[in-house]
This record gives sequence, C-alpha cells and structure tokens, in this order.
Amino acid sequence: MGKIKYPNPAFFRARTNIDWKAQGQNVKEIGAIVGQMIKETDWKAFGNRQLGNVKANARRLREEFEAVKAMTAEERKDLLLNGEKHLGKLYRTGAMATVRREWRGVRDTGVDFAEWLKMWGMLLGTFSKDLVPALNATLWYRWMISYMCCVGFMDKNTMGQRGTALKMSHLMIYDIFRYVAENLVFLAKCDKKNGNSEALNKKVVLFDEMTMGQIMAGFPDLLGIPYQLMPVFLVSEIDQLTCVPYIDAVESFGLPADTCPVPSSECGALVIDALPHMGSCFISSSMPCDGSTMASSYMSRRFPDLPVFHLTFPVRYEYEETVEDAAEDIKACIKFVEEQTGAKWNWDAYFTTMKRFNEETSYELEKWEVNKTNYPQIIGPCYELFRKWNYEMDGGADPRTIKTFQKVNKLMLQAYERREEAWPGKMKYRGIVWSCPAHYYANFSNWLANCWGIDILVEMESLNFTKPMETEDKEKALQDLARLYERMVMRRHTNGGYHNVVDELWRQVEAWRAEIIIMYQNVACKNMATLQGILDEQARDKGYHMIWIEHDLMDPRTVSRKTMRDKVNEYMRTVMKAEPVDPSLCDFDDESCM
Amino acid sequence: MRDLKHMIFFENLLDNADNELVEQAKAEGKLAIGYTCFHIPEVLLNVPGCFSVRLRAPRTGSIDIATYYMSNYTCEFARALVERGIEGGFNFLDGLAGVDACSMMNRFYEHFELLKMNEKPNFFVTHTDMPYKVEDYSIRHYVKQMRVRLLDVMEKNYGVDTSDEAIRQAVAEHNDVCRIISEIGQMRKADNPVITGYEFHVLNLVSYTCPKHLILPYLRETLEELKTRKPDPKPWYRARVAVVGSEIDDPSLTKMLEDCGAMVVVDRYCYGSTPGREVIELSDDEPALEQICRHYMMVSECARYIADEKVQQRRDTADRLAREYNADGIIYEQMKFCDFWGFERALVSHIMSTEVGWPVLSIDRPYNARSSGQLRTRFQAFVESLEIKRIQKNGGNN
Repeated sequence: MGKIKYPNPAFFRARTNIDWKAQGQNVKEIGAIVGQMIKETDWKAFGNRQLGNVKANARRLREEFEAVKAMTAEERKDLLLNGEKHLGKLYRTGAMATVRREWRGVRDTGVDFAEWLKMWGMLLGTFSKDLVPALNATLWYRWMISYMCCVGFMDKNTMGQRGTALKMSHLMIYDIFRYVAENLVFLAKCDKKNGNSEALNKKVVLFDEMTMGQIMAGFPDLLGIPYQLMPVFLVSEIDQLTCVPYIDAVESFGLPADTCPVPSSECGALVIDALPHMGSCFISSSMPCDGSTMASSYMSRRFPDLPVFHLTFPVRYEYEETVEDAAEDIKACIKFVEEQTGAKWNWDAYFTTMKRFNEETSYELEKWEVNKTNYPQIIGPCYELFRKWNYEMDGGADPRTIKTFQKVNKLMLQAYERREEAWPGKMKYRGIVWSCPAHYYANFSNWLANCWGIDILVEMESLNFTKPMETEDKEKALQDLARLYERMVMRRHTNGGYHNVVDELWRQVEAWRAEIIIMYQNVACKNMATLQGILDEQARDKGYHMIWIEHDLMDPRTVSRKTMRDKVNEYMRTVMKAEPVDPSLCDFDDESCM
Repeated sequence: MRDLKHMIFFENLLDNADNELVEQAKAEGKLAIGYTCFHIPEVLLNVPGCFSVRLRAPRTGSIDIATYYMSNYTCEFARALVERGIEGGFNFLDGLAGVDACSMMNRFYEHFELLKMNEKPNFFVTHTDMPYKVEDYSIRHYVKQMRVRLLDVMEKNYGVDTSDEAIRQAVAEHNDVCRIISEIGQMRKADNPVITGYEFHVLNLVSYTCPKHLILPYLRETLEELKTRKPDPKPWYRARVAVVGSEIDDPSLTKMLEDCGAMVVVDRYCYGSTPGREVIELSDDEPALEQICRHYMMVSECARYIADEKVQQRRDTADRLAREYNADGIIYEQMKFCDFWGFERALVSHIMSTEVGWPVLSIDRPYNARSSGQLRTRFQAFVESLEIKRIQKNGGNN
C-alpha cells in the first residue's frame, strides 16, 4: 500500500464550475465601490498621513541609531547576538501592523526569517493548487482579505521568543496555517457563488466550528470542514476587527447584545452573507453552551437546502448513565452522514486515526510534565493555539501532524536537558490562565511574558480529555468518542457542574505550582459569570493572586486590548509591587493594529 | 365585572413562596419539593407524602448579594432566586429538583448547595440532565434521569413511595387541576370574556405554587363562579394579545399589559398554561413514568429544543393559539440575559411578522417588570398600532 496523502489530492483536483457571468457582475459591483471610495477619499489627508508615516519612520531610525550609538560595546554585542529588549517600540499609534519585524539576534533572526520564507512558500504552494477560486474569494468575502496578514499574526505570537522556544512555536503554528490554507482553498472551490464544484460539494460534510472533527475519522473518503472556523472564529484571532460587522448586523436584527460573541458572530455572518454556500450536509451541535445551541436555527433558515443533524450531548456528562444517550446520538449522526453522502463508516480508518490521536495525546502529556517542572519549555500562544486546534479540529486525522509532535517533543526534551529558559530573562512568575481568552488578543500570554515575566504554563482550554481512546471494541469506541465530545474545549469546564471549573482550578493551580491566575472574564459568558463571586471568594480564602481580565471575546470595542493590559499593569504595580521586565510594553497603542 | 370571591386569597398566596397552603400541607407532615423548570414533571413531586412548589421570588427588591455571586449580566430570575434563598425564603423546602437545562438556572441550584442555604439533615438538591431533542433514545434518557436522579433520591432520602401506583395517583390529582384551569382558560376565547388575563394568570400560578389537594377546592369553586359570572356590557379591552416567550411568574406584568388595554388571551410562556395544564392521558400498557416523560417532551415549547421539528412546532403553536383565541397580535418576550429566548425571540418575532403576518411586539424585560415605564410605553404603543390596523382593516371604522 502506497503512502496515503492528506488531504486527499482528489479534493484539490475536483472540477470547478465557475459562473463567470456572476463573477463579472461581482467585479463590476466591487469596481463601483472602489470607484466611489477613490472619489470620496480626501487625497490631501491621505498624502499627509503617508508623509507622517515617512517622517515617523525616519524619526524611529534616527532614534534607533542614537540608541545603538549610546550603547557600550558589551551592550551592542548583546543586541547583535540576543536581539532587542524594548518591544513596545515596534508599535505606532494608528498603524495596522508593527513598524518592522523584531530583531532577535543573528541566529534567531535567521531562524525566524527561514521560517517566514517557509510559511510563504507553503501558502503560495497551497493556494496555487487551485488559485482562481481562492483569489476570487477575496472579491466575495472581506474576511478573506484579513488572511493576507496571517504572517503578521505569526510574528505577533512569537514576539520575544528565542532559541528552541522560537523553533517549537514555528513548527506548531506552521501546521495550523497549512490546515487553514488548505481549507480556504476548499471553501473557495465549494462555494456556489465561486468555485461551485459539484464533485467536491458531494464529499463535504460541514460541521459547526464548536464541534470536534473526530467523527470524520470514520469517513476517510469525505472532507469534514468546520464551517465557520475560517470566516469567523480563526480570522478573529488574526484581525481583531473582523467580527465587528457580524456583531453589528445581528444586533441590528434584534439579537440582544449580551449574548456570547461566538454564536452572535456566526449568526451575524449569516445575516450579511459572509459564509460560503456549500457542502452536502451540516452537523450542528449544542456545544459548548446555551448560545451556541441556539445559533443553529439561524443556519437552518439561511440555508434551508442543507440537511442538518443536531448533535447533542448530555450536559451532566460525568453521570455514567448518560453515556448511552450520547453514544446513541453519535450513532444517529453517523447514519445521517451515510444517508446524505452515500459514504460508509469505516472502522479501520477510525481506529487508525484514533491510535494516532492517542499518540499525540501522550506527547501532549509529556509537555505538561515538563511545564510542571522548574524548567517549563513550551509556553506561549503558538502552543496554546496548536493544542486547541489539534484537540478540536485535527484530532489525529492529518498524518503530518504527528511528525510535528515528534519534532517538538525532541526539541523540548533537549531544551529541558540544557535547562533553557523558554523566555530568556523573563521567567519571573508561574501563571495559569482560566476561562476563555479574548480572540482579539490571542497573544495576550505573549505580552504577559514580555512585559511582566508572567509565564503561562497552561490554559484551562488545554486541560481536556486525555484518556486514550478505545481502538478495538466498537461499542466502547462510540462511548469514548461521546466522552471526548462532551469534554470539548470550554465545555469540559463550564458544563456539568461548578466543580469542573471551580474545584478544578484550585487542583490545577496546585499541580502546576502557579503563582498568578489570569482569570479571564468574557463579559457575555453566563456559565462563567454565574460563578464569579464563588471564584473570587475562594481565591481570597486560599490566598491566590487572581487577576480578573474582562473582555468581550470577539468585540474589542467593549473592552480594548489596552484595557486588558491595564488590569495587569495595575495589579502588578499595586498588589505585587513589581517592576515590568520591559517597561516599553506597559503602555502602547494597538487599537487599530491587527 | 364583579370580583371573584377568592381573588384576594389567591393574590395573597402569591405573595410568598411559603404561603398559607404550603404551611398547612407542611403541618400535615408532607414534604415540600421545590422546582423551577417545566422539565421536572410536577406530578413526580406530588406522589403521596409530597407536594410540589414551583419557585418564584415575589416582591423582589434588591438582588445585590446574588449579583455579587452571579455578576450583573445574568438572568435576573436566577439571581432573584439566589437572593431569596440567601434571605432564607426557601427554608421550608425539603428538597430541590433541578434540571441542568439552562446554565444560569443551573447555577441557582448550585449556589443553593454552595452557600448552604438549607441545612435540613435530609435536604437534597438534585441535578437532572435534559435532552435537546425528542428521539426514542432521548426519551429513554429522560426517563432514566427522572428515575435515578429524582425519584430514587426522594425514596432514599425520605422513604417516599415512588411506585407506578403512587405516580398514577398523583397524575389523577394533577389532571383534576389541569381540567379546571384549561376550562377556565378556554373562557378567554369569548369576545367578551368573563375572566381577565390577569385573573387567569393568578389562578394558573396558584395551581403551580400551592399543594394540589389544598388548592383544588378553591379552583373548583372559582370555576363554578365563573360559569355564572356576568361580563361587563361591552368588552373592556382595546386589543387581544398572545404572550409568548420565557418565564413570567409575576401577574403584575399581565396587569400592566391589561392596564394598557391589551387583554392577554394566550399565555404561551414558561410558567404559563400552554403548555403546562394539559391533561396527561395514561394507558395501562406501559409504566406511568415513561408516558409522563414522553408527554412532557412532546408538549414542551422550550426554546432549548434544537431540532428543526421542535423549532417549527414552537412557531406553529404560537400561530395556532393566537388564532384560536382571536388574538390581534403577538408579544414575544424574554427575560433579560436569557440566551435561549434571546436568539429565539430575535429570529421568530421577525418570521412571525414578515412571513406569517402577525403584528408582533418584541421585548426583553427585567424579572421585576411591574415598575418599568419603558415597557408600559411600548405596550401602549403596540395597543395603539393594533387599533390602527383594525381601523384600517375595517375601512376606517373601529
């Protein structure tokens, strides 16, 4: 048997059926908008702004030159070898991106640049597999434009990293980007407005972005796509302003503003037609919470031609008597997919994928063991994203991912042997993150380390189901799959009783010997908000440093990044009486920065 | 119309959870089991030796302490119950039957435990799991939950008889209440009804919050009284409305609506009578518990049901009831911060208005709505718009 390629190359080759007349009309419409924009632009103000940028860059260069000039020979050598230390200078008020890339020292800048090239190569290679619909998607969806800045997102998440930590971050984020790029191509090919590939649409099973992908492991001939992941969920981490139009649209429609921005944005994307029309069927779910449950009726209304299966699991998932119902629902879902696509569930394929997923989970547990020691190695936003992506979306499906696990594991253990510092000179406090982080500030933990030396060893959303999945007995396998789904990201903690999020926090704080708890407070998350007092009270009783950080998940207008940072700044100064590691990062403007 | 004989008595019963009839039943040695969610079949709490109390927090004032525990962006009903529990308002209870159906109400039950609100030796708080759709396996799941997490707990903690016979006995009494309330409810169909929406709301609520055997005689007498009650010469209302949505346990909201001229002819909301006061038909072919669970799942109109057929059922039911009771318009309402009804209300109020053709008022409201000037203004405006529509329909004649 030859090497199995993933994803199936036939999916990329599937024939498209583009309606060129419709594309022409779309281009005409866009042309009219661009024409109007050009007409209405205040070119004088635009020119002044560009001139201001040139002047600001010249000033910055002069300042940087003066700063280097004032350094001692030892300081210059340190700058040359180990890179810059005042990262706040990379931001400029009103700029959409950092003013330049970070200087990390000769060796690490080389590593970073090589990875940058590799990333661009992969992106171009992937999109060129069917370039026309992929490029055409930028003319249909504004979120597609935000993906143009994905490399900037990579820089943001690796800011301040050096040595092995930098290499590991690049390895992990590369896999996520590859997954995204491939799925963007598929979205473009399938979309009835765009590629309109009938052949591929027959193979595509859409599932709610909050539903895990493992069920597709039993359908190797089909393509499972987390429907809203690319247009809503992930892009909101790349570009903080992406979801604003979605939220505004659905709130204008009448949805209360207090609902969770994830389902609100999903529904808003439907209202303004920002989701591709595609696929053979859709698996919606009741996960992770009440708001997400309700978003499915909006989906059914927008695409009435798309058959829907509602995958619903018991909320009190720890009651053993509920497993039967959950497993029955999985069976019903499998039957639904078989009926809609004509494909047959393949146990061998499922077990193969689960074996790989089990191996990946064992690597994950090794990471946890290392991070629990005095020499944590694998921290930062790339790891956090990778963990969630692997657990929720990949789930062992992509054979290439296991290689990344192996490489990262090898690097991690070597670094541990050498007792490396994951953030050189910035290992001051052991931190743990609880509750869900803000999408628009996905690299907040990066800022915590760079500014205050608070190193996040683990996030709540990483601490999920780690029991090996059954790979022989079919009935037990379905029950395990149900157990896994019930313990999806967020749901594992916020459902099933308060002890899963309150008692569990204290247990994890002890296990990881955390000194600071970064307690996120998504202002619209009712599951967490309803335990606010208990968490606060018990943290006080136990004497933990708990810093509450309010945010609105996908809407930076409610609580800005700056306000989030200020909460930490104030706590560190007033309660901890601490000094920042990098004072230039205490106060800077990134309101419009992606 | 002449006042109903027991109206003041009924209103007083709604002033406290621990009302006169509850105290009387407790004195008889019966166990009081509290619940809030429709998905706890109240008949199961009314087996011999027990009685159900559907919890409310009447005369709620400040909910500051509950807000400290549950933050200010969460369901005010859940918070009001936590506050009332902290105040000791539910100390009379012997058990609390919870459903993990909506997260915020679930947290009310959890705070009851966490803050040790009731420290009776055998007191229990039970959390049951509730399916999101009606399938054979989900009905089996529901039955199992009611058996394992509710009836077995009652039996274990208090030695309550939860046999099939005991359950059937409770259903018989429950059906008596339902027949009376339904018959009274039907009277709202008349052009000039002998009962107001407010009076019906009060009657229905006492049937939820008082021991069945003690409230039944009063309800029977009221039904007889209504049969001979003379309506006013001309209908008092300016418009007839159906109210659809999340929990309403405060009759003063209905009163406010009726003060604005809108008679509430349909109460299709949680704690209302449709669903809630349908007779449960039992056959001898299968255990009563299974039939009861199926009944509750089938008639439920809770927005939490995610499956397409249930979504459609909710729209159809609202439309059907509004037609049957000759409503002029529909008011979709939600408790502020309720996720389920927040999403449902936004979409369905749009559909009912643009596709089904109903005049719709869509509102979110605080738990304690009686003093809301904003709501009053919106109700008045809606009544005026319904009147204008009627005038236009009648070619300029009212």
